[in-house]
Amino acid sequence: MIVFRRSIQIGSLFLFLVFLAAAGNFSGSDLFLRMDPALVGITAIAGRVIKWAFFPALLVLLSAPLFGRVFCGYICPMGTTIDLADARIAPKKPVPPRWIRPNLKIYLLAFSIGAALLGVSLAFWTAPLALITRFYGMVVYPVVLLFSDAALTVIQPIADRFDIRKLMFLSIEDRRYAANLFVLLLFAEIFAAARLSPRFWCRYICPAGAILALFSVKPLVRRRVGEDCNGCGKCARVCPMGAIDADDPVRVRYADCLACRTCEASCPQEAIRFSTEHRGAAGVPVSTDRRRVLVSGLGGAIVAAVGLTGLMAATSDKAEGEVCDPRLIRPPGALPEPDFLSACVRCGQCMAGCPTNTLQPVWFAAGPLGMFSPAVTPRRRYCDPKCTTCGDACPTGAIRRLNSRDRVWARVGTAIIHRQKCLAWEYRKSCMVCDEVCPYDAVKFEKQLELPFPVPHVDEDKCAGCGYCEHFCPVRNEAAIVVTPMNALRLGGGSYEETAKSRGYRLRLRTEKSHVANTPGYPGDDGTPASSGGLAPGFDEGL
Amino acid sequence: MKPIDRRQFLKYQFQGMLWVAGASLVFPSRLLAAPSVPDLAVVTGSPEAAVRAAVAMLGGMNQFVKKGARVVIKPNMSFPTPPERASNTHPEVVRTLAAMCREAGAARVLVLDNPLAPEEQCLEMSGIAAACRAIDEDMVHTVTRPSRYQEVEIKNAVTLRQTDVMKEVLSADVLIAAPVAKSHSGAGVSLSMKGMMGLIHDRGIMHRLDLHESIVDLASLLKPDLVVIDATRVLSTGGPGGPGTVLTPGTIIASTDMVAADAYAVSAFEWYGKMYAPDQIKHIRMAHQRGLGRMDIEKLSIKKKTV
Repeated sequence: MIVFRRSIQIGSLFLFLVFLAAAGNFSGSDLFLRMDPALVGITAIAGRVIKWAFFPALLVLLSAPLFGRVFCGYICPMGTTIDLADARIAPKKPVPPRWIRPNLKIYLLAFSIGAALLGVSLAFWTAPLALITRFYGMVVYPVVLLFSDAALTVIQPIADRFDIRKLMFLSIEDRRYAANLFVLLLFAEIFAAARLSPRFWCRYICPAGAILALFSVKPLVRRRVGEDCNGCGKCARVCPMGAIDADDPVRVRYADCLACRTCEASCPQEAIRFSTEHRGAAGVPVSTDRRRVLVSGLGGAIVAAVGLTGLMAATSDKAEGEVCDPRLIRPPGALPEPDFLSACVRCGQCMAGCPTNTLQPVWFAAGPLGMFSPAVTPRRRYCDPKCTTCGDACPTGAIRRLNSRDRVWARVGTAIIHRQKCLAWEYRKSCMVCDEVCPYDAVKFEKQLELPFPVPHVDEDKCAGCGYCEHFCPVRNEAAIVVTPMNALRLGGGSYEETAKSRGYRLRLRTEKSHVANTPGYPGDDGTPASSGGLAPGFDEGL
Repeated sequence: MKPIDRRQFLKYQFQGMLWVAGASLVFPSRLLAAPSVPDLAVVTGSPEAAVRAAVAMLGGMNQFVKKGARVVIKPNMSFPTPPERASNTHPEVVRTLAAMCREAGAARVLVLDNPLAPEEQCLEMSGIAAACRAIDEDMVHTVTRPSRYQEVEIKNAVTLRQTDVMKEVLSADVLIAAPVAKSHSGAGVSLSMKGMMGLIHDRGIMHRLDLHESIVDLASLLKPDLVVIDATRVLSTGGPGGPGTVLTPGTIIASTDMVAADAYAVSAFEWYGKMYAPDQIKHIRMAHQRGLGRMDIEKLSIKKKTV
């Protein structure tokens, strides 16, 4: 039985990791996230949305009255990871502290719901799938890549020797994430809690566990103890959740029973069975203090209200007097900021899937309520105007799924030039990299009378803020051309193309323009007359 | 008349050889070889036929690629655009060169570039990966990983004193430059010398220093054994990325002198609607002055042909 559970757990964790590695590359790669009842529940309340995508969580919820917390015991990758850590960290005979009760997780859930009622999602602190996705995607994955790359560096000379091209030119991406040490610290605490009790997180904290606990007070298939029981109490000692009453091993708190069947396997009398037969099954009801639940909910609402009155709190994007980070660029297809923050659970699935690694979690750039939310970071790398991975990976629709046609129009900002840093403007050098790399052909170079080389201008109606220019700008540290969120399209629905056109944007990819038939004009392709004394760009008078 | 005996014959032969050998010390060998091998071969025709004819006029690929040699071909494939846009080398030109290297007995032929745009899109849209697949399944690659580059000092450099070069290029026996002829808003034109920027890792520094000077420094380090400029289409305006005016001279320019090849390409086509002299491109002028090659094409032997 234990082997059976272990194999399901490992299989499930493996599947979860495969899905994460392919985040956004196939529909359904976010399935595990959508199975998390806390993640989905909090998002539904905070964002006031119900959608078909949430269906898997409903199935998980329905599994509770039937089989108990089997999701926690068998499927949840967070639970499995904690099990794996517990096996190495937990003491042989843990003595759970008396000051902490399993009901804590229910009060924490109430707290989250209180905040969600005001539209503030705290799922990113507590929803287990959001946390574990972030852990594997942003902490473990980059480290695996780092070591793989080191191994590759050793192997490549050998591959070169034997002309194994696939290996010779294999390139392992280097992934970096902001705030990854913080995520590690968070998980170090979660793992270290095993010293207090195994599955500490699942027992006392997890809001998904709390929801499932409330629905599995008396599951259809549950533990019963036969008449052979001699009351030795071994089951109570081995139960990782401490759900069995040590004084009367027949009695069990089903709300905390993971149906792991450790007790069944360890019973010397073979008196324990899990079945639909309920003779000999004695449950201990969940007795939450209703007043404490209400107070916790109120607490959540108060914290949310204070958060909403913070200076950086998101308001509708047309609000005057809004203070936000001047470089906070949301991924293409991100909902309007308040809706975005309500829906985003900061799982990091988009950031793990982002092929260029430009999507990074922010610390406080979006205010305390925006922690870990994704932002385009062009200096790191550009945001490919053909890529729709982040929207495809998003489990809650905080980033919309875009078709490839609309994607090109999903503008995320506008580039601006710091002339005082620009090689062409300030240092009088011949540099045109921003124009060379711009996929939208939005950078124009013009000759200025007093300057030796043409200098760049941004045509703001053509710029989508993709960040190619900022990434490739040869000026070090902060680039001389940077993307700002100005004129980003943040739509809750409808077509980006139509909206963009109605605002006069002309977003066309260079690759999709056909060549210009005959335009002797300089410098652009729009036939403007030459202002540089008739010389083609880059040419001079000669000897 | 007394017939000469064998001994006498050998003596005459030997003396004759000595004279020829002595003469070759006095006169540059180029003069003796002039009728056969020109400085520049300029062929107009379909891409494959023109490339084959141009290289044949320089003595054939066997002159450059020995049996068992490791060859790197450097085309332009840095933009995710189709061949008719003329931002990348024509796939037929690259494929023909690769095939010719194979025919000459090359052990390994690689087609390499370090593009700025997403690599897969460049490989696919340029058509180069697909074209070369006919010859070798795994020939065309982009190299972006820093550890695939090696730091190299550039001796006698004016500004770019060191750079990181693709290891495959450093270990190759033969380097063939196969650039497309295109305008370049920073460098004036992007031809074989400018194209060498695709073989190093950090290009940004060349803009921070001085673009033209560092192109010449780089050209003093990376000297292709053979230059084949693809002017089947010329991106006359809007380069390097375009879109811009595309001319279609259908020409291939081959040379062992990158400066001469570039100089010829500058003078042969219209740029932004006007004709220019090679010395109006600073990096060509400087390369000539530093003796890396010759831009005085009027003094060079140029063989033209239509196929």
